[in-house]
Amino acid sequence: MAPEIPSATRGVAVGRWLQRRADDVAVVLIATMFVSFLLQIIFRYVLNRPLGWTEEVTILCWVWVVLWGASFIVADDEEVRFDILYNAVPPGARRAFTIVASVGLIVLMALSLPATWRYVLFMRREHSAYLGMRFDYLYSIYVLFALVCIVRQVRVAWRAWRGTAPAVASELPGDVAE
Amino acid sequence: QSPAKMRFSCAFTEQDLRADAYKAFAAAMKEDFEFQPFWGNTLFKQGTELVALQRGNLEMANLAPQDISKQVPAWSLLTSAYLFRDVAHLKKTFKSDVGREFVKMAREQLQIEVITPVYFGSRHVNLKPDRQIKTPADLAGIKLRMPPGEFWQFLGESIGVNPTPVAFAEVYTALQTGAIDGQDNPLVLSKLMKFDEVTTQFVLTGHVVGYDVMTVSSKAWNMLKPEQQARFRAAAEKAIDDYTAKFEGQERDVVTALKAEGKKVYTPDVNAFRAYAQKRYVDKYGRDWPSGAIERINAL
Amino acid sequence: MMGLSPFGWCVIVLVALAAMGLPIGLSMVGASIFYLLAAGLDPGTAAEQILNGLYNSYVLLAVPLFILAADLMNTGSLTDRLLKFCLVLVGRFRGGLGHVNVVSNVIFAGMSGSAIADAVGIGRIIIGMMTRGGKYPVAYAAAITASAAIIGPIIPPSIPMVIYALVSDASIGYLFLGGVVPGLILGVAFMVMNAVISRRRNYPVEPPVRLREVPRVTVEAFPALLLPIILLVGIYGGVMTPTEGAAAAAAYALLAAALIYRALSGRQVYGVLLSSAKATTSVGMLIAGALAFNYVVTVENIPVSVQHFVGGFHLSKVGFLLLVNLILLVLGCLLEGTTILLIIVPIFIPAVKALGIDTVHFGVVVVVNIMIGLLTPPFGLLLFVVANMTKQPLLAIVRECVPFIAAAIAVLALITFVPETVLWLPRVMGYKG
Ligand code: NA
Ligand code: NA
Repeated sequence: MAPEIPSATRGVAVGRWLQRRADDVAVVLIATMFVSFLLQIIFRYVLNRPLGWTEEVTILCWVWVVLWGASFIVADDEEVRFDILYNAVPPGARRAFTIVASVGLIVLMALSLPATWRYVLFMRREHSAYLGMRFDYLYSIYVLFALVCIVRQVRVAWRAWRGTAPAVASELPGDVAE
Repeated sequence: QSPAKMRFSCAFTEQDLRADAYKAFAAAMKEDFEFQPFWGNTLFKQGTELVALQRGNLEMANLAPQDISKQVPAWSLLTSAYLFRDVAHLKKTFKSDVGREFVKMAREQLQIEVITPVYFGSRHVNLKPDRQIKTPADLAGIKLRMPPGEFWQFLGESIGVNPTPVAFAEVYTALQTGAIDGQDNPLVLSKLMKFDEVTTQFVLTGHVVGYDVMTVSSKAWNMLKPEQQARFRAAAEKAIDDYTAKFEGQERDVVTALKAEGKKVYTPDVNAFRAYAQKRYVDKYGRDWPSGAIERINAL
Repeated sequence: MMGLSPFGWCVIVLVALAAMGLPIGLSMVGASIFYLLAAGLDPGTAAEQILNGLYNSYVLLAVPLFILAADLMNTGSLTDRLLKFCLVLVGRFRGGLGHVNVVSNVIFAGMSGSAIADAVGIGRIIIGMMTRGGKYPVAYAAAITASAAIIGPIIPPSIPMVIYALVSDASIGYLFLGGVVPGLILGVAFMVMNAVISRRRNYPVEPPVRLREVPRVTVEAFPALLLPIILLVGIYGGVMTPTEGAAAAAAYALLAAALIYRALSGRQVYGVLLSSAKATTSVGMLIAGALAFNYVVTVENIPVSVQHFVGGFHLSKVGFLLLVNLILLVLGCLLEGTTILLIIVPIFIPAVKALGIDTVHFGVVVVVNIMIGLLTPPFGLLLFVVANMTKQPLLAIVRECVPFIAAAIAVLALITFVPETVLWLPRVMGYKG
């Protein structure tokens, strides 16, 4: 997913193209959220005709942008982490840390996957209030997130094992919003 | 063998009178199970308790009837405006044949046991503008705050206002600044939230008799022996009846207090409101309702 | 070790995963799943809590929108013009650019809800201005930039306050008002600190801006200066909720940048939206992790235990607040702010309510604490940001930050012991706390 996958040129090109499309989805979600909000304000206070669906659309976009973003647009080293100990130990220990943590998360995510799947399926009997969207569709993004999370952690662990991990001396954990 | 633990979820906080009622109920049942309350939706968010009950992550909840109607559309009748005349009518309905049919629907379709309604006050229109309100037409153009969500927005439309979704925590400021013209919470809550300070009048529309239902998951319910179930029902009824009497006393005290501070408190033409609202509800939801049910409840 | 409860193990798993470098959000999700499995509960509950928590938390929508607004202001040239205007205001005093830094942060605070966005947006320009020709040591420029940025979320709008409102049920509107006076006091405290240091080190004054240029600079900065006022009037005049205010701020920044300043291309808008999506994801994953982990904390009844524990010591309001300040300052050195707000603060809320402490007052105290935490090593996000921008060693910046951290702690003590500093403005606007 990240553009820096070392592979054949063709693979890189395809990867980049996919990455850009994933970015497009995130941009569309954020833009939709923004526009719906503006419509909501305008209709309520300028036209005195409150809209109901805008609220549902904005919330849908928010849930999706978080889980879509976590799956496809935020790189492994861009997330907020607590890396004091990690940065203080020698590279060999770092690799060991990465492998242990990744494998741990893979196991936990995998063990909870069937129950997660059952929960999302169960939600088919509930519908959103305005647009009547089925909640299993709405929440399916979490299943995707869980699956992608496992795949990404496998890659992280594999790279650490092979010693080809990008040297994460991450001082700056992305944009955080305090 | 009976469940060792009854995990219970509700929206109200531990300071609410209803918490005392549930505690009294739990004390009466302490030989049968350990009551583990999570007040104020700390464990499960409002509106998510029903699924938690169904999936075995919760044994008991103080459930809003609107949540049940999300999965059993027929239940939307029990959430419609101007259905119940007062708390006595509410209680009578749940004990009647037609009420038991609704309880059975919930049992069969959702695997939950509805024990008893828990009244928390009728909703009345509380306005900032000093305009005399007699019929729904008088409320035209009034921006009345209703909780976010289609159910509530429609409730607003059914009494003739311009429903405006505002989060509960922002209602006081919105009234003060004039972003909204009024709100419609039960009197006790309106007084508690000091909405009287920024409004001029309370129109006793009583458009909805507010209640939740004490609910147990069928799984937990079926683990109780028949004599335990009987004890459960008796303890629940006693605790809720005691609470309701206390709560109605509070409602009367609030009316006295509001009048004493010079607020206008009066009853509009409730029949005009009922005719207007019931027609709108029948048009929108009537096809979901068991035929004859509304007439049978009206006749009780 | 065998006797450790599932919750005990869960905490160990959380600390271990995070310490081994896993992102904090994922660590919390993983630890929560571990607990559910170990306690024999439904492991699908982690997904349930995250999804319902995100879906049912309407106020959280302010988070991505405030991020978007700040990004748009930094991409358009609003920030540049604001700095020029501040130069006119306070450039001629000793340590003039230091004052410009603080004042522009105060004004920028009225539009942005994020300290990191402020440090990046303002710092990108002013650090260059301060260090050009060796006027100020780079470490000092970095330190005052990081310090002044903490004013951002104390003066409204404020993302941490939105998150606090979520966990405490306090009104966002009154929380926002409660931050105004403490934020201004903090600005004054930082300017005093800058004046003292500048006098001692003989930092330069800026050449006075020629009088006939003043009207032009002011007019150019005007649209930027107008935004805080529009937001205040909009929110407190009842035109919009604080959440909608975030959207309005973003729309205004977009319009101002595109129409008035003509400094925004389609490609730039795309870039801003994408970086906002990334920032939203980062915060959203922390929130997601906290939602799952809070379920564990609630099942274990931790907040009630803390309330009873506090009750057992018969602490006074002041004693309790002092204790909380101490705990949060220490935790602030080690943990990331959103995590503290979402995991630690909810544990205190029942005790706060039981003691009769005002939740708006408590919220502002908490947010100031968390902002100070952004400056304290070893884990201080603002330190990382400015160190990354200036390529200075962390230690040099920390050393220059010390006087500012001291000033901020003094202000924290003031607002803790004199609740009126926080509550005066909300009460003027009708708050009944
Ligand atoms: Na701000
Ligand atoms: Na820190």
